[in-house]
Order: sequence, then C-alpha cells, then structure tokens
Amino acid sequence: MTRSTDKDQIMRDVASILESRLGLLSAADLERDTRFFADLGLASIDAVVLGEAVQEHYQRPLPFNLLMADIGARADRDLAIGELVDFIEHHLNTL
Amino acid sequence: MPRIAANDLTFHYQQAGSGPDVVLIHGLTGDLSIWFLCQAMGVLARTHRVTAYDLRGHGYSDTPAANYTSADQATDTLAIMDALGVEKAALVGHSFGGVVAVHAAVLAPERVTALVLSDPSFAALRHLENLNRWEHWQNFRAEAAQAGVELSGEHWYDLTKFFDQVNHLDGDRLLRFRQAVGLPGFKRLLKLAQTTCGDDAKAEAGLTLERFREVEQPVLALFGEYSPFLATADHLTEHMPRCVQRRVPGAKHRAPEENPAAFVALVDDFLMEQRAARALASVR
Repeated sequence: MTRSTDKDQIMRDVASILESRLGLLSAADLERDTRFFADLGLASIDAVVLGEAVQEHYQRPLPFNLLMADIGARADRDLAIGELVDFIEHHLNTL
Repeated sequence: MPRIAANDLTFHYQQAGSGPDVVLIHGLTGDLSIWFLCQAMGVLARTHRVTAYDLRGHGYSDTPAANYTSADQATDTLAIMDALGVEKAALVGHSFGGVVAVHAAVLAPERVTALVLSDPSFAALRHLENLNRWEHWQNFRAEAAQAGVELSGEHWYDLTKFFDQVNHLDGDRLLRFRQAVGLPGFKRLLKLAQTTCGDDAKAEAGLTLERFREVEQPVLALFGEYSPFLATADHLTEHMPRCVQRRVPGAKHRAPEENPAAFVALVDDFLMEQRAARALASVR
C-alpha cells in the first residue's frame, strides 16, 4: 500500500467520523483544503471530540494536544482537513 | 466522548495525566476546548491529573432551563469531583469559572487545595469596576458590533441583555453573527440564551463580600495586564488571606487566548509551588 493510498483511506475515515460523531451530512464532499471551522462551521470543542474519536478509531493515542495548541497559536485558528490527515498519517506511521 | 452523571445532569469532561488533582473551569459562553487550545491540558497533565468539563448549558453538557448561579455551578463542580473520585483538587477557573471556583471553595473548603482565578468579576465586587475607564472597551465593542451585537457601556456585564439581542437577531445581523461565532457555536448560544443563565450569572447567590475572607487556601489572582477588572484583582489580594497577584503580559480579559504561553507558565509555576509546599508540610 502506498503512502498516498494511506492518506486517501485516512481522509475517508475522517469523513466517516465527522458524519457519525459530529452529524456532518456533507462530509463526503471534503477536500484537502476544506477548513474545519470556516468551511465546515465546526467549533473548537468539536475538534476535541473529533480527536478523541480518531484515537478510538485507530485504537492508539495520537498527540492531539499538540495539534490543538498549534491551532490555538494560529492567527486564523483554523485547520485544513489535509493538515489533519497529514498529522494522523505521520503519527500512525512513526509512533 | 466521556460523560458523567452529576447533580441530575450529564456533563462532558476530559481527563489527562496523573498526580494531584486539578480541575479546570471555563467561562460563560465558552467550553473546555480552551484548555486544549492554550495547552493547559497538556502542560499541567505532566505533573497532575487534570480534569476539564463543560459547564451546564455549554459545550456537550446538558442544558437545563434554570439554575445557573455560581452556587448552582459550584455544586456541579463538587458533584463531578465526587462522581470521578476526586477527593480534593486545585481549581483553576477563567472568568465566571473563577467565580464558580471561589464559590466551591467557600461551600466545601476541605475539597479545595488551591485556587487560580483568571480574570473573574464578582457580583459582590461590581461596584469597584468602571468599564468606561477601560481603554480596550471600545475595541471590544467594535468587534461585537461587527458581529451584529450592540453592547452598551451601562450594561456591559449584563449577559441577559446580550442573550436578548441574540434571541432577536434578524436578517443581516443574524447572518453576520452566525458567521462570527460559527453555526454550532451559534446553536449552543441560542440554547443558552433561552435559559436563566444571563440573570443567574449576575446574582451574588450567597457569595458576599464577607465570604472572600473565608478563603484560606493559597490563591493566585491572575489578571491580564490590560484587564478591565484590576480593581477586583486588588480587592482579592487585600482580602483573601493567602492571595498573590500576577499579571499576564499583553492580555486583556482572555489571557488563555491572548497570551497562552505566559498564562499556562504562571498557572503551572503556582501549582508546582503549592505542591512543593504541601510536600514540605507533610514531611515536617
């Protein structure tokens, strides 16, 4: 399995979690540059819940604390879905 | 999502780390995500068991129609501690969360080891503050106006008036406000605006001036350098027997967002000092 297939799979996993956990009906239309807050209209509390659901899904701890702190430090306080996928892929493969 | 039943409601909470307990209490209209965004959760969990929860009516906790005073919400804090097996804890509260923390310390002093009060404003101390002296007020007001909500100088502390406006937004203003706070945030705010939270939060609810002197725990009064509530900070420092005051550089009312690194470092230092002092006391 190539790295890009991994990311495609993670993208599908994220979409499915957004649908089942956060009730996001249009999750199938997610693009890499879709922004979590500005485009999907989610709030930071939803990011906490998503982080938890992602760790449950992959059955391992991922350093979401660091990702949340990084978002908190950004001027636009937002996160592109592609960045989230990269974050998950990186830590699934290195931890 | 971890939830716990307490005080006849269900609360969303998050827990991390191990060690002496710390409970984090966010402010009105916020939620527990602030503790992740400012990294308090990660940093404090290196040395403590940290519990953060969504206040009633906020985040993913239940939204009852009534009972939102600091007394009601302090019993929530204590009931959540009971349900999670937290015998005693240091309480860290931001804004109204700080009021809840003091109220919990007054109701159950034996359960509270220390307090960190980040920019709280108390009903009993409101006469000390005059927001018109606060130079950042105009900026705040402009931000709110852009989001479609008018704030008047006279009613600046009045969440009821704010909720009233939210309930009656229409057309363009509704759209701008929704864009400013995001759709889920807007839905939650609408839900909260239909409760008694606005009025309840203004009530002393038994937390009178005299009771501040009863707080014998070590207290960190942590206020933004440009906080609108610096008279409150001085009052707490003078009237609580073991209160020290620190300022978060560059911050206004929302230090965890405005200067998260300094905010968390000051909280962490204080909690570590208290921990060391308790360890020393137990050796003696």
